[in-house]
Amino acid sequence: MLKLVFLAPDNFSMAVYRFCFTVLFLFLVVQIEAQQVYTISGNVKDSKTGEDLIGATVFIKETGKGTSTNAYGFYSLSVPAGRYKLTAQYVGYAPQEQEVQISGPVKVNFTLSTRVSELGEVVVVSQRKNENIVQTQMGIQKFDAVEIKNISVLFGEKDVLKTIQLMPGIKSAGEGSSGFNVRGGATDQNLILLDESTVYNASHLMGFFSVFNSDAIKSVSVYKGNEPAIYGGRLSSVLDIRMNDGNSKKFGVSGGIGLISSRLTIEGPIVKDKGSFIISGRRTYADLFLRLSNNSDYKSADLYFYDLNAKGNYQINDKNRIFLSGYFGKDVLGIDAFGINWGNSTGTLRWNHILNNGLFSNTSLILSNYIYKIHIDEGVKLNILSRIQDYGIKQDFELCPGKDNSVKFGFNTIYHKIIPGTVTASEDIGFKNLSNKYTWENAVYFSHQFNAFHGLNIEYGIRFTTFSLLGPGSFYSYDSIGNTTDTTKYGSGKFVKSYFNFEPRVSVNYVIDDQNSIKASYARNVQNLHLLSNSTSGNPTDQWIPSSNNVKPEIADQVSLGYYKNFADNKYEFSLETYYKKLQNQIDYRDGAEISLNETAESQILFGRGRAYGLEFYLRKKTGRFNGWISYTLSRSERKFDGINSGHYFPARQDRTHDISVVGIYELNKKWTFSATWVYYTGNAVTFPTGKYQVDGKTMWLYTERNASRMPAYHRLDLSATWVVKKTDKTELSWAFSVYNAYGHDNAYSISFRDNESDPSKTEAVQTTLFKFVPAATFNFKF
Amino acid sequence: MKKHIILFAVACLGLSSCEKVINLDLGVTSPRLVIEGNIYNKPGPYTVTLSQTVDFDQSNTCPPVSGAIVIIADNHGLKDTLTEKDPGTYITSKIAGVPGYKYSLSVSVNKTTYTATSTMPAAVSIDSIFFEKFVFGNFDMVSIKFQDPVNIKNYYRIIEYYNNIRNTDFNTLTDDVYNGMGIRYSIMADEKNQFLFNPDDSITIWLESIDKGVYDYFRTAEINDIDSQSATPANPLSNIGNGALGYFNACSFTSKSIVYK
Repeated sequence: MLKLVFLAPDNFSMAVYRFCFTVLFLFLVVQIEAQQVYTISGNVKDSKTGEDLIGATVFIKETGKGTSTNAYGFYSLSVPAGRYKLTAQYVGYAPQEQEVQISGPVKVNFTLSTRVSELGEVVVVSQRKNENIVQTQMGIQKFDAVEIKNISVLFGEKDVLKTIQLMPGIKSAGEGSSGFNVRGGATDQNLILLDESTVYNASHLMGFFSVFNSDAIKSVSVYKGNEPAIYGGRLSSVLDIRMNDGNSKKFGVSGGIGLISSRLTIEGPIVKDKGSFIISGRRTYADLFLRLSNNSDYKSADLYFYDLNAKGNYQINDKNRIFLSGYFGKDVLGIDAFGINWGNSTGTLRWNHILNNGLFSNTSLILSNYIYKIHIDEGVKLNILSRIQDYGIKQDFELCPGKDNSVKFGFNTIYHKIIPGTVTASEDIGFKNLSNKYTWENAVYFSHQFNAFHGLNIEYGIRFTTFSLLGPGSFYSYDSIGNTTDTTKYGSGKFVKSYFNFEPRVSVNYVIDDQNSIKASYARNVQNLHLLSNSTSGNPTDQWIPSSNNVKPEIADQVSLGYYKNFADNKYEFSLETYYKKLQNQIDYRDGAEISLNETAESQILFGRGRAYGLEFYLRKKTGRFNGWISYTLSRSERKFDGINSGHYFPARQDRTHDISVVGIYELNKKWTFSATWVYYTGNAVTFPTGKYQVDGKTMWLYTERNASRMPAYHRLDLSATWVVKKTDKTELSWAFSVYNAYGHDNAYSISFRDNESDPSKTEAVQTTLFKFVPAATFNFKF
Repeated sequence: MKKHIILFAVACLGLSSCEKVINLDLGVTSPRLVIEGNIYNKPGPYTVTLSQTVDFDQSNTCPPVSGAIVIIADNHGLKDTLTEKDPGTYITSKIAGVPGYKYSLSVSVNKTTYTATSTMPAAVSIDSIFFEKFVFGNFDMVSIKFQDPVNIKNYYRIIEYYNNIRNTDFNTLTDDVYNGMGIRYSIMADEKNQFLFNPDDSITIWLESIDKGVYDYFRTAEINDIDSQSATPANPLSNIGNGALGYFNACSFTSKSIVYK
C-alpha cells in the first residue's frame, strides 16, 4: 500500500502527495476506537444577522469536552450513543442549550442572540470563559470586531493591525509604520491573510493606516510563530483575518464620517436566510483640504487611499455553501510631475462541502495581486511598474474520527509571478526591464489533536513544502564580492532550483485544573519569499524576491513554554510565556548595496543567522464596568553575519528590550464609554556615527559598529470617548472622540545629523517627531 | 527622499511635525586616518591631504597628520615622493597627470601603509552650460549638456562652484542608462536662497571623468548623509586599502562657467 517512487524533481511532488495521503488513511484507521461513536455537527450563527460565529464554543455539559467552530462557523463532535445537553457560547452572546438523543449522526444548529448587556457584564474576551486555559493552541491572540471597536488609534480610526500591537510579543515597527515585528522577527516574516488570500503590503499612506476596514472584518487571529500545520510560508507569525459575510436576514447600512476619512457599509440578504452580501468601502480625503491651501503646488496634489471589501455567500443546500470575497485597495500620492500609487487586490472563491460522516471540506481558489506604479512627467514621460501575482488552490479537510479527536489535512498550491520592474518611457532611455520571476510552491499537511490522558491535550502536525524557481529567464551566479561569474538561460517552465522542507509542529497542553494550565510547543517554519528593504520602516517600493540558486529558504525553529491562570471565577486572565527562536539564512546587505531596480540584486545580499528570545507577561480583567489589560514583553533579537561587526552577534534593528502596553476601558453608563491606552517601549537598535571627518569640505560621519546605539524610549497616552447618542433595535448613532499622544511626548520618528547652522564648526543631532496632541472626531451610524 | 514624502503627507494631514536639536552621547572613538588625493589632466602640482577623524562633540576642524611618507607613482616608471608643504598637506613635484595612465598612491603613517590605485579616464567636454527652471515650483537650476562616449563605460562626478565657493554635495553619474547619448545634468539653486539665483551670481561646473573605484566612493558617500532613511548606514566604499577613509582620484575634467543675469 505504501508506494515511494523517487522521480525527477517535477514529479517528486506527486510522489509525495501519494505517500502522505496513504499515511493519513493509516492514521485514521488506527484512531477509530472500538466503541462506536457518532458525529454531532452543525453551525453556530448570530440570530439577528445570520453571520457565522467563528471560534464559538460548543461543549457537552455532561463531559465538559467541547470544540470550537471553524472559520465557517461549523463544528463537529464525536460521542458514543446517549443523551446529552449541548451548549453553544460566544463572547457577547447569551449561551444556548439544546438537548439531543444520539443514536446516529445528527445535525444540531445554534442561533445565538446578543446578550442584552447589563452594566458590569461587558465580557471582552474568550469564548469559553476559560478558553485560554483549556485550548491547546498557544501563542495565539484572537479578536472579534467588538473588541477592536473599543480601542481607537490614530485619527480616531479603528485599526486591526494597531490593536494587535497592544498584545505581548507583537510590536509596532515604529510610529507611522503599519509593519510589525513578532517575537523579534522582521516585518516581512508575517503572513497576512484576508479570507485566505495573501496581502503583501498591509499599509496605506506610508504606514499610517492599515488596509483593513474594521467594519468589514469578522475576526482576527494572530499566531506568534507556532501556528498549526494548516498555515505556513512566513517565519514569525500568521495573521488570519476573516471578513463578515453580511446580514442574511435584513438590509443594513452603517458607516462613519470622520475628519480624515469616511466609511460606508451596505449588507443584506441575497435570499433570506440562505445567502447574503456585504460591500464596505473607505476613503480618505486629506487632499481635499490641500485644494484649499494657498500653496499652488499643494493645490494640485493628490493624497488619498481607498479600500473596498466585497463578499457574497450562498447556501446551496444542507451540505454545500459557496463564498466569493474580494478586496481592492489603492494609495495615490502625487505632486505635479511625480506620482506614485500602489495597492493590493485579493479574490477568493470558496466551496464548503460537508460529507456524510461530518467530514468538512473547503476548496478555495485564491488570487492575490500587489502592484505599484511610479510615474514621472518631466520632459520625458516615465512609468515604472512592479507587481506580484499569486494564483492558488487550497483544499482542506476537517473531521472528528473519535472521541476528543480532531484531524485536519489538506494541501495547497500557489503559483507566484513577480514582475520586479517594467519601464515604459516616451523616449528610449535605454533602460532594460528587470526579468520576471516565476515560482511554484506546494504544501501538504496533516494535523491531529487529541486527549492523551486526563488533562493532557496534544496537537501535532507536519507540513511538507516544496518551492521551485522556474524559467524562462537568465540566472546568475556571483563570487564572494558580488561580481557576476556565470549566467545560465532556462526555458519556460523549466525548474531552475527547488527546495523541499518538512515543518513539524507540536503543541502540548496540560490542564492542571479549571483555572490553571501549562503549555509547551515547538514549530519549524520555512519562508521562500523575502522582502528586500533597506529602510527603517519599509517602503511600498520594497522588492519581494524568491528563494533561488543564490538565496536559500529562511528557516525558523521556535520553542515556547507558558503558564496560564485565571482568577476570581475567570474574571482575570493571566499568562506568562517564554520563547526561543533560532533563525537560519537571514538576509542583510553589503555596505553601499544597490538593491533598487537592480537585475543582480541578489549579489548585494549577505546571509547569516539569528536568534530571538523573550518573556511575555499578560494580565487581563475581562468583566466589569472597568476592564482592560496590561501586557509586557522583555526580549532580545540578534543577528550574526560574516562581514558585519566582525561576525559577532549584534542586535537586530527591531530589538526592543522592554515593551509595555496598558489598556483601560471604562463604561460609565449606557451612553458613555471611555478608554485610555498607554504604551512604552525601548528604542530600536540603530547605527549612529561615533565620529566625524571632512572630505572635500563636507562633514562625513564615521560608523564603527552596526546597531550599537538606541533610539530614545518611546511612550504616549491615547484617550478616547464614545458617546452613544441613540441605540435602538433599528438604529445606532454615536460619536467617537479621541486624542492621540495626549501629553505630547516628543517621540523620535527619526534622528539625523548635520552641521550646526549658526556655528559651522560644530555638528548636532536633530530629532523629528511626527504626532503630538492629535484630536479626532467621527460620527458613526448604523441602520 | 522617503523622509520628505512622509513629512509632506504629515503636513497634508493638517499637522506639523516638529524637529528639535537633542543631546546625544555618541561617545569617543579612536581616530582613523582620512586621505584625500586628486590628480588631474592639467599640470600639477597635485595635493594629498591627511587628517584624522574626531569625536562627534569636538570641533569640525580635523587635526592634520604630519610626517607621513606619501608616494605617487604612475605605470610608466615615474615615482614621486611628496613633500609636506603645510601640516597634513603634501604636494607633488615631478608627476604629471595623463589620461590613460594608472596611478598608485602609498601613504605610510606610524608603521602602517595604505595604498590605492586609480586610472585616469579620458576627458569628456561640456558642450554647453545654461540656466533653466525646474518644472515643479519655478525654481532655478543650472544645467550642462555633454555627449557620453559610447564605446566605454563612463563614470562622472559633477562639482559646482557657486561664486567661487565649492558646493560640498557629491553628484555622481554613470552611463548605465544613457550610454552614447547626450546627457543633460541639472543642479538646483541652494535651498538657503529659496532655490533661486541672484543677479551676478557666477557658477562654474566641473565635469570630472572618474574611474569605477572613485565613482563607488562618491556614490556611497552620498548615502552617508544621515538624512536618508537607510537602515544600514556605513562608511563609503573607499578605494584605499587597510581601513583608511577617503579617496584617491585620478581624473580628467573640463569646466564651463556662466553668470546669472
